[in-house]
Amino acid sequence: MTDTGEDMRSYARPQTLDEAIGLLAQGQHRILAGGTDLYPSAGMQLDGDVLDLTAIPALSGVTHGAGLRIGACTTWTAIAEADLPPALRCLQQAARQVGGRQVQNAGTIGGNLCNASPAADGVPPLLALDAVVELSGPGGTRQVPLTHFLTGPRQTLRATDEVLTAVILPDAALYGQSSFEKLGARAYLVISIAMVAARIQVTNGQITKAAIAVGACSGVAQRLPAAEAALTGAPVAEAAARVRAADVATALSPIDDVRASASYRIVAATELVRRAVTGALA
Amino acid sequence: MQISLDINGSLRDVYLDPRTTLLDALRSHLGLTGTKKGCDHGQCGACTVLLDGRRVNACLTLACMAQGAKVTTIEGLGSSDALSPLQAQFLNHDGFQCGFCTPGQICSATAMLEELAAGWPSHASTDLEGPFPLSHAEIAERMSGNLCRCAAYSNIVDAIQNAAKDGDAK
Amino acid sequence: MSLGKSLPHDAAPLHVTGQARYVDDIPLPATALHLAFGLSTIAHGEVTALDLSAVRAAPGVVAVYGPEDFDPVPDCSPSAHDEPMISTGEVLYLGMPLFLVAADSHLAARKAARLAKVSYTEKPALLTVDDALAANSRFEDGPVIWAKGDAARAIATAPHVVEGQFELGGQEHFYLEGQVAACLPLEGGDLLVHASTQHPTEIQHKVAHALHLPMSAVRVEVRRMGGGFGGKESQGNALAIACAVVAARTGRPAKMRYDRDDDMMITGKRHDLRLLYRAGFDDRGQLTGVAFTHLFRCGWAQDLSLPVADRAMLHADNCYHLPHIRIESHRLKTHTQSATAFRGFGGPQGMVGIERVMDHVAHALGRDPLEVRRANFYAPAEPVASAGGASPPGPPEDISEQAIGAGPVPPSPDETVDLTSRGAVEGQPERGVAPASPGAQTTPFFMPVEDFIGHELVARLVETSDYAARRAAIADWNAASPILKRGIALTPVKFGISFTLTHLNQAGALVHVYQDGSIHLNHGGTEMGQGLFQKVAQVAAGVFGVDPYAIKITATDTAKVPNTSATAASSGSDLNGMAARAACLTLRDRMAAFIAGKHQVKADAVRFEGGRVRVAGESYGFDQVAAWAYLARVSLSSTGFYATPKLQWDRKAGKGRPFLYFAYGAAVTEVVIDTLTGENRILRADLLHDTGNSLNPALDIGQIEGAYVQGAGWLTTEELVWDGKGRLTTHAPSTYKLPACSDRPDVFNVALWGRPNREDSVGRSKAVGEPPFMLGISAFYALSDAVAACGPGYPALDAPATPERVLAAVQRVQAHV
Repeated sequence: MTDTGEDMRSYARPQTLDEAIGLLAQGQHRILAGGTDLYPSAGMQLDGDVLDLTAIPALSGVTHGAGLRIGACTTWTAIAEADLPPALRCLQQAARQVGGRQVQNAGTIGGNLCNASPAADGVPPLLALDAVVELSGPGGTRQVPLTHFLTGPRQTLRATDEVLTAVILPDAALYGQSSFEKLGARAYLVISIAMVAARIQVTNGQITKAAIAVGACSGVAQRLPAAEAALTGAPVAEAAARVRAADVATALSPIDDVRASASYRIVAATELVRRAVTGALA
Repeated sequence: MQISLDINGSLRDVYLDPRTTLLDALRSHLGLTGTKKGCDHGQCGACTVLLDGRRVNACLTLACMAQGAKVTTIEGLGSSDALSPLQAQFLNHDGFQCGFCTPGQICSATAMLEELAAGWPSHASTDLEGPFPLSHAEIAERMSGNLCRCAAYSNIVDAIQNAAKDGDAK
Repeated sequence: MSLGKSLPHDAAPLHVTGQARYVDDIPLPATALHLAFGLSTIAHGEVTALDLSAVRAAPGVVAVYGPEDFDPVPDCSPSAHDEPMISTGEVLYLGMPLFLVAADSHLAARKAARLAKVSYTEKPALLTVDDALAANSRFEDGPVIWAKGDAARAIATAPHVVEGQFELGGQEHFYLEGQVAACLPLEGGDLLVHASTQHPTEIQHKVAHALHLPMSAVRVEVRRMGGGFGGKESQGNALAIACAVVAARTGRPAKMRYDRDDDMMITGKRHDLRLLYRAGFDDRGQLTGVAFTHLFRCGWAQDLSLPVADRAMLHADNCYHLPHIRIESHRLKTHTQSATAFRGFGGPQGMVGIERVMDHVAHALGRDPLEVRRANFYAPAEPVASAGGASPPGPPEDISEQAIGAGPVPPSPDETVDLTSRGAVEGQPERGVAPASPGAQTTPFFMPVEDFIGHELVARLVETSDYAARRAAIADWNAASPILKRGIALTPVKFGISFTLTHLNQAGALVHVYQDGSIHLNHGGTEMGQGLFQKVAQVAAGVFGVDPYAIKITATDTAKVPNTSATAASSGSDLNGMAARAACLTLRDRMAAFIAGKHQVKADAVRFEGGRVRVAGESYGFDQVAAWAYLARVSLSSTGFYATPKLQWDRKAGKGRPFLYFAYGAAVTEVVIDTLTGENRILRADLLHDTGNSLNPALDIGQIEGAYVQGAGWLTTEELVWDGKGRLTTHAPSTYKLPACSDRPDVFNVALWGRPNREDSVGRSKAVGEPPFMLGISAFYALSDAVAACGPGYPALDAPATPERVLAAVQRVQAHV
């Protein structure tokens, strides 16, 4: 019943960011920012020292300043419950669809990004919100657009001695309205076959800006520049009709996997884009 | 490492590998086997416990991370002599068949009723401002993190609805 | 009278407080070892080198066992002795155990098991039905063929013909409590096994066989399972055997629990198959002839595949009289997990086939599928006087003397044959064909259908569900709704009750009355959530006239009741209820004779009711009479036994009466589909199900609801996917989609038929475990109906009807010109 005979590793739960960065500089750590993604994938291979970031007050919460700053250890529940502008509705909708409530209470936005699953629920809304991530390490702090940060399935630009400290949404991205759509074989608690976030700005009945991102259809979630261009300038009433499968497909390289075939994903994603756009305009 | 956990109102000291999950700590080190291991992947909800009143999957939580929080397990919600309102309603409405998911369902529903009392919206709420009538759809969404393979869902929903009514009546 | 009451599960207070103990909750001594298997990473080939040195050196490891450590490697099969506990060199599926690790913690064993260095010579793997057919890889020499009439001629001369084929997926049990067993070594080499199993006697037999012990040296105890669904009929053998082997060799207790992904990778699932059909019919849709071919993918070992595939053939008719039918059943051997028992045991697969024919015929004729179904129903049952009312638990009768007819002398026992396994079909004596009731229509296997209540039952459901009006309203709604389409379907169920291996239809019970009047009940059935213990306790309480809570229900224990059959085939209450009743009647008769003697009246004048014993105008407490009986040296312990009457079955010929009776039901499901994404959901389900005189309506309704959701899940969201190398890629709940709370229909009406069983079953009840699973088939055909609203073509849906498949079907019917 006991785990005797195993080498005991250390567990650190620093209260400050400096302390955390100092520990990272001393050697390899598995970073815990809620643990909901890490533990299932690492499972019993959770070897090595563990660095738990969830006790650092500065990493939690949403603050307004130049843009909007979401601490990396802000839980999905906290995001869903926060009072945020309508442009962030897609992010709040996604927050309520990350697993069950148990997972939303523990899982964090930073953990979701660093884990870099192709089907991470948080990514499409953040792409549609032009998110920038803030990384802190021994050499200081740097900001990287989310589109660059995610380099591939389970791969990011985070250096091993860096901590993702915050997600920053620039002022310009806080306008308009947004919507999130997720498709799965079951209404809740699924890793998605396809999901879409759309943020739309409208002036005088015409779309002036469209930001659309699709997840689970490619190794990394993608913005859809062609679809966005087709929507820009469109009258609101014509928006859904402007969404074409070809514009969706060009940006994606959908994967055939256990959850769905590539051709189905394109069809489904196109329809979800229409619905997300319509939802954002509602 | 030596850690100290506040479980069901009493402080328990336990020595374990820091990578031990709260679930394994409860079941293998503290003799609290009411919390069940269903999938170990945070997907089935059988291991749901409350941390400071909020529901989490004990299989996704390291025991170390629970230090400083109040941990409540099914054993802490009530006993055969003094059932909690939800426990009583699960019994009255046959809210289970094989019973393996039941402790997790009851812990999860306990937190859910607290969430409702606090007025938090859910994905299924049509109106993000509330108030939230406790419809079957609302319960289904809020309880989506707890699977029941016997599919005793009708009775589970009935039990929760009735417990909520009892709570309102008080 | 405790029968027919909606009492909660006996263990309800334990379940809601977390005190109900499952195998993994049983405290073991600190010396206990924890076991894990190391698994193959290829589907087919030879192990050329198995280097376990790193495994042995891993922290916490106490012992590691490879094939060379056994002579021979213990067999885990419930049938053909083709399942070595670990591979003997040949790898037959991806996930096959190769070696066994014993360590001082579960985690240590699991981690160590990943450290082996295994070299293989890989061979081409047969993964699909087509692969297996091409290689003629199968169990049994060739397909099993049953025929009645002349199907080919009837189809050839029919006014209309439909034909087609479709794929029907498997299903993961996903019992929430995974497979687990523990073994404690006792003195003198005896063993006590705690197992999460539906079949304690099978575990006892296999453990004894593995260790060359008599069965009497092995005791198996099962208090409860956290779900079984058929997945714990044979699939727990390997864990119990591994624990027993390690306990015997080390002298330390041993426990083995599969983690969820190991469980899904190692154990068998429901059989998937390809189903081909060809049917001839007239203008009304009445079938004149039908031919089915079942191509079952059975996996690497025989397990229970033969009786499963048999039962699919036995349900190829469902509720329909088919005078000319031919069924050809292939049991294909593939390099995948060994498919096994799952609620319905092949019956659902067979039934989906004939319902597909009904759906297709109706589409071809442009008629309501319900009309076509009704046109083909069996003739209604003739009223039977004896079936008029409930059978009260008295007057005393000696059920144990109801021996089954003098059959042929069975073959002499062979200790290697699993006499109590459903897989032991080869050990089955052939029996003569039961004489047909004159005039009664017969099934494709020549069993008279004497109890068909489908006409009345469906008529009631059509009315209570408002089927006709809703069907019309849906057509209107669809006409105005270009993107969302609704569909509705009513499908009936007729499910045969009894083990098709006739000798398994027996059960025993052991009942004690203590001197203080408390009652201890034990029987051979196991509890997995179905409420069996509560039902049997209600039967016992009824006999003694005491409160059901006065009955102490105890763990199933091979030392108390021997030679039990699996708690399977929905037979738990039928068999064990009758056996317990027999034991209770024996005891009650003794007590009645004793107290009657004191009062110098006849024993049948004694009444047991309300916890009292009434005789000659006096009323005594049950406890008082028990104490007096003890003092008067009356034995207060009795066994009881039951053997199902009337059964005769020849599986090779496909002729006889394999079932005592049929359980019936019908369901109406309404769905909506999104024609642009294929997403779909169930809007409403109305179920009407026949449980005879229900022993416990609340438990029965729970079974029916749960079975429906599970059945609908099988045909809609639950998809198993293997990659081209034979690796199961849906081996976690994140990718394998069980019905969640939100998948329960928004409107869910469930009712019991409420009329007694014609046969003399316990309390005139009917078995309920499996039959309502097939009510879920209505969800599948409601989806077909919704897809059919999108265009002129026939939907030809494959199962499970995932959004992707629904969308493909929508595009198919739209493309049809």
